[in-house]
Amino acid sequence: MIRIVMAGTAFSVACSLQPLVGQDPVIHVLAQFPALILAGSLLGGRFRLPQHLTGPTLVLALVSLAIWMLPRSLDAALLDPVWMVAKFVTLPLCVGLPLAAAWSHVGSVLRGFLKAQAISMLLFLGFLYTHAPMRLCNSYLVDDQQRLGLGFVYLACALILWWIIPVFFGQISSNKKDDDNDVSRHRIELR
Amino acid sequence: MSATDVYSAESGPNPQEALVKFTMLLGGVVFLLMMVFGLIMRVAQGDLISLDPEMFYLLLTAHGAGMVGSAALSGAAILWFFSARHLNLRSSIYIAFLGLFLAGVVLILGSIFIGGYGGAWTFLFPLPAMSGGLWEAWAGVMFCVGYLLIGVGFLLYYLELGLKIASRYNGLLGGLGWRYLFANNSTDVPPPTIVAASSVLVFNTIGIVFGAAVLAASIVNLLLPSFEVDPLLAKNAIYFFGHVFINATIYMAVTAVYEILPDYTGRPWKSTKLFIGAWAAVVIFVQAVYFHHLLQDVNMPAWTMAVGQVVSYASGVPLIGVTVFSLAVYIKGSGLKWDLPISLLTLGVVGWGLGSIPAMVDGMVSVNKLMHNTQWVPGHFHTYLLLGEVAMAFGFAAWLVRDKAVTTLSSLDRLVFRAYVFGGAGFVLVFLWSGASSIPRRWAVHYEQWQLQSQLASGFALIVVLATLVLVVRYVAGLARRSQ
Repeated sequence: MIRIVMAGTAFSVACSLQPLVGQDPVIHVLAQFPALILAGSLLGGRFRLPQHLTGPTLVLALVSLAIWMLPRSLDAALLDPVWMVAKFVTLPLCVGLPLAAAWSHVGSVLRGFLKAQAISMLLFLGFLYTHAPMRLCNSYLVDDQQRLGLGFVYLACALILWWIIPVFFGQISSNKKDDDNDVSRHRIELR
Repeated sequence: MSATDVYSAESGPNPQEALVKFTMLLGGVVFLLMMVFGLIMRVAQGDLISLDPEMFYLLLTAHGAGMVGSAALSGAAILWFFSARHLNLRSSIYIAFLGLFLAGVVLILGSIFIGGYGGAWTFLFPLPAMSGGLWEAWAGVMFCVGYLLIGVGFLLYYLELGLKIASRYNGLLGGLGWRYLFANNSTDVPPPTIVAASSVLVFNTIGIVFGAAVLAASIVNLLLPSFEVDPLLAKNAIYFFGHVFINATIYMAVTAVYEILPDYTGRPWKSTKLFIGAWAAVVIFVQAVYFHHLLQDVNMPAWTMAVGQVVSYASGVPLIGVTVFSLAVYIKGSGLKWDLPISLLTLGVVGWGLGSIPAMVDGMVSVNKLMHNTQWVPGHFHTYLLLGEVAMAFGFAAWLVRDKAVTTLSSLDRLVFRAYVFGGAGFVLVFLWSGASSIPRRWAVHYEQWQLQSQLASGFALIVVLATLVLVVRYVAGLARRSQ
């Protein structure tokens, strides 16, 4: 119940930001998008996903996220009511929810890979948005675009610290899949 | 070894052995082929054959990328093999790493020999996009994507190593041995191989991230030239990546010395505070020293030149002061019986140490102004690669297929080893001599008065190629013998 309330709160925050997203791409991409994804992921954490659906679910989440990384999707969400509705539906239900539902089945190497990919993509977007010689979104000015690019870089740096520091101190998240693959539990067979 | 180890030399075959043997075969064959490319270039510079300059730069690019790639591949195989003595590594990750690596190699070779990309292994921005009509943009993109695939492969490799080290030694700080070094916590001190693995995965992951960033930017620039990158920023990122990556190959390969030498001396290589401290210094120095590649860039801040020069000297301390000196101490009075594997491994450490000395000389701003674009620099890196990493790799390969009944150098082994040392030493000394004589590097065609050095170098290179050919054939024969 608490999760549903929190998900509803995150969704409400995202809705309340809607009047501001036309003025500032940073609020649009780095505040509203995460709030919508968070709302979905809070719901998805309760979801018991069968193991064999992990791959398709991850693909759904990553492809949906990739679509929302395109500048023209940002433009469309501002100009076309259908796209705006699609944003409020797909970011929670096709990105946040499936990602959270699949996460418990994902092995630690794939988790690390996805985290590294997220960081590198944020840095890459940061480069694109700060170096583009033209406006990537018709709805935003070049200055706003460059602020968004810097925002991607700051977010990437924050994620690096958040995800890397625990590795130095041994706080590694593990799951059943890793335990199954851990050959140290089968030492006698190996020898 | 602790009770939780999954494998020890006495417990049976290493579960990673077959994959590592295959990798070393690949690495050995590519080393040999790249040496042939190098020989052709030196012969052409000596005007002993006629070689189209365009082809020279294709060979130069393939030789550089291929040698760095083979060194990385063999170093990674060695580190994986010995890490598996202490950790539960999954073969599937190694297979993914190898697959991505080979896919990257295919793209790189395609970009060079089909696309005509000749912008050298350092892909210095904006060179990939400024071919002067020699190659199309797609060839540059293909080259960069090939590198990216190899980088992704290494990311998977280090993820697996990092996760297993962090789980086993209570975080990477445990794997680095820093709890023992700084907090005097002597419970569960990691063995030397794990200290090395932890250190390499920390600095090489950072290096690869910077490399990937500048590669991605270069690809965008190639496809959309209006997207420009600050060339000095790009150069910093490229040389940070390049310096860290090539050094990582040797730091991975040296684990063979830590693990194999005790079999010969009966003295285990210990994780002392000095040893762990030296590796802690390596983690810092190997990253901070890259500025010595940019001493000629006058618009770099002055402090970077000071750091580059000072750290160039400091880098020699953990290497020469600890690793080479420790090797001498472990060997002295041990009654070690020299055979081919241990001879090559010892040569590797000595060659690595000696190879750092010309780097320290060139790391001085006043010397670098004169020497940077001369053959002094290839003289330095050929010393620590040809007589360092490559010697360690062939020593490890020879150890993998050794005949345990044979504990001495056979006359053929002695001849091959001496030929490798003689040819290799002669080859790198001619490079250093040429550099001291201000003969430039990377020139396809040499003036007549420079050709004597190139001709002498060709002779030495031929000897190295022949010795390497025997080493590869010997390894294949060893594999065949052991599979029977």
